[in-house]
Amino acid sequence: MDWFIVITTLNLAAIYGLLAIGISIIWSSLNMVNMAHGLTFAVSGYCAWLAATYISPHPAMVLVAGIAGGAVMGAIICSIAFLPLHDRPNFTVRSLITTLAINLIGIQLLLQIFGPRMKPLPRIFGTWSVSFGDTFLTGDKLGTILTSTIILTLILVWIVKSRYGLQIRAMMQNPEGAALVGIDVRFTAMRVMIITGALAGLASVLLSQTFFVNPNAGLQPLIKGLIIALVGGLGSMTGAVVAAFIMALIEAVTATYLSGQYVLIGQFLFIIIVLLIRPRGIGGMLDEFRE
Amino acid sequence: MTDDTKQTPKMNLVGRRRFIPRPKIDGAKTFTRKRLPFSKKPILKWYAVTNPKTLGRERKIRDKRPLWWALCLPLVLILPIVFGNNTVIIAATIFAIYASINLMWNLIIGTAGIFSLATMAVVGIAAYTASYFSINFGLTWPAMLFVGTLVGLVFGVVIGIPSIRIENLYYALLTLGLVELCRVYVVQSRTLGSATGGLYGADSFIPEQFALQRPGVIIGFIAAFVLLLLMLFVYRLVNEKRLGMLLRTAREDEAAAEAMGIDYVKIRIQVFIISSAALGFIGGFYAAYFKGVSPSVFSIQTMLLMFAMIVIGGMDTAEGAVAGTGLVVFIDKILVHMGPNRIILIGLIMLFVTLFTQGGLLGIKAQFKAFRKKKKSQRRAARTQKGGEVMSEEATEIEDKQYIYYRRFDKKWRDHLKTLVTEELIEEHRKKPLGQHSDALQRLINYFRCQPLPDKYAIYEIKALREYQLVALTGVRGMPPRVVDDKIYTSLDKAYHAIFLRRMNDLLES
Repeated sequence: MDWFIVITTLNLAAIYGLLAIGISIIWSSLNMVNMAHGLTFAVSGYCAWLAATYISPHPAMVLVAGIAGGAVMGAIICSIAFLPLHDRPNFTVRSLITTLAINLIGIQLLLQIFGPRMKPLPRIFGTWSVSFGDTFLTGDKLGTILTSTIILTLILVWIVKSRYGLQIRAMMQNPEGAALVGIDVRFTAMRVMIITGALAGLASVLLSQTFFVNPNAGLQPLIKGLIIALVGGLGSMTGAVVAAFIMALIEAVTATYLSGQYVLIGQFLFIIIVLLIRPRGIGGMLDEFRE
Repeated sequence: MTDDTKQTPKMNLVGRRRFIPRPKIDGAKTFTRKRLPFSKKPILKWYAVTNPKTLGRERKIRDKRPLWWALCLPLVLILPIVFGNNTVIIAATIFAIYASINLMWNLIIGTAGIFSLATMAVVGIAAYTASYFSINFGLTWPAMLFVGTLVGLVFGVVIGIPSIRIENLYYALLTLGLVELCRVYVVQSRTLGSATGGLYGADSFIPEQFALQRPGVIIGFIAAFVLLLLMLFVYRLVNEKRLGMLLRTAREDEAAAEAMGIDYVKIRIQVFIISSAALGFIGGFYAAYFKGVSPSVFSIQTMLLMFAMIVIGGMDTAEGAVAGTGLVVFIDKILVHMGPNRIILIGLIMLFVTLFTQGGLLGIKAQFKAFRKKKKSQRRAARTQKGGEVMSEEATEIEDKQYIYYRRFDKKWRDHLKTLVTEELIEEHRKKPLGQHSDALQRLINYFRCQPLPDKYAIYEIKALREYQLVALTGVRGMPPRVVDDKIYTSLDKAYHAIFLRRMNDLLES
């Protein structure tokens, strides 16, 4: 048992899980593929950076600024891509294109405002480390794992237990039925987008502990998040968590034993195998129920 | 004005778009229709209409797109060469290459309805293979085109097979991941030029001594234009023929298509093979034109731009793909002085197009027509009121349109007559039912008299000069009139007045 692999897997799985669950929830409840999730990621990273630079580098401030930036971005995406389009024909493709366009515009704006230079975030979990045999567990990794586990658990509990969560789940199962029993589709959509945006903001701050904030920072997480949401079965939250773990494990193992350049190939082979066996992903029974 | 100067009436042209000439049909001549060589297709789809004003037969073109193609394609070829500097010609070359790629992409994304994002992956892999063979084994450029086609063919089968089993959206994300995989692999692979930022040094159809000079640039542009024509031909061959028709049927509903006997697995593999082979050919051309290839073909940015081109022009049509490519390439390559703002501009256009149009920029005309039609029918529905006039839904059922106008006239007539009815008028009629009347009364009576026979009132004489009764005619020959009420009138004048009152009552009630 290699502790390094375990720690890396947990760390990556935490961040991937945050992203993939956001994408998965958006897809299943709003029927929309949010390609601007990566932009939300970058914007909240910049918000955190701005807060750390101009207000205070206190960890709570950085976290709150990142999450707030993500939430605002989610609301903006919702009001451009969902609200005007959701009752029009061919919504899925059109919202996909709209979010792509938002992504294109937003990244260019970020480039113009902040420039292409990378911005570091303060270490919100400190710089201490614990040693496990011959590997070190640094503070940021432990903090990331703990924070995202707590937040993910809270979100899952909220979705399962609360009344708003019930509304969201109703919309996931049958949007028209949900509208018929009096659930306001627009308000619920706004709520979903704000929450998933906040999740992306959190993931951004956490990931920026290891990497840097830059305008294109959202691209890789977006693609990985999309792929994990896809392998997990769009709409299935358990599937997304399982997929996040497996993908993180594959990444950690291939990066350690082979080389960095085989990571994507390994993950990709895994996706293809999964999709060929289960065309709707690991947990993807949802669409079958819908039909 | 005097009688002896003869006045010729001024004839105004009427109708919408009256400036468009409409050839007259000469009845004496035999009707012939020219067809495209080796096919049954007519060059232009003509149809005949009767001009209601002149009552002559005229010809109209059902689909003017061939004319637009015939007008625009030569312009695309000539304008950059005659007026443009090298930058413009190179931009036009890139436009032609991208338009070719987009046409082939359109076959999959539009005609077949499979949301594949792997287009640039096919092009890039073909270009990389062709460049690699050319650099290491000295392939000449025709062989590069061949190698590219071959690679595209193989790759088309490989990416085509999962598309049958995997859902549309899952497939889109899978292919997105595939492109990213290619990019990461190429960026990291030493044999494919990770150190030099691409593979360069392949053979080219532009002679060495002309490279980056005007003759070389023009040769490159003309070659790319020929490529565009070729791809338009392939597009038309697939899209307009049997395969395209089957694909478009299967696109809407797979189960229904299968029930009709369409083997959608087979046709989808077919379209993947055709378009991927063509994309591989374009990849070979790309490598031969740029003398190599860089990892930027696989970048998400390029893919987004290509997607913007298809979306802006309008999916599912050749002219949409080409026009969208033209617009985006123009913004991206000609308006360079705008800096990064041009990407924002492209994004804004893309947003506008998806939020407000249904079929891209070229679909605006059809959308506007549909909108106008909708508004027209709404207005018609709002205008129609009850009371004799024909309701709009009833109007479509009436064969004789003259009758609709009669009903409308009749309603207006009655509305006017209602305003004439006064106490004095009734008093006047009571005093003197027959004979000379005032103008208003005469108009009322005229209206009553010219009503149709069914249900018209008449006077039935029970005993001459003493007893009269009101009856209503049935309007059917041989069917006796029915009695209206049992009231007996003692004089003819009283009976006349009773009929008048009844009629008046009916008029005011209607």
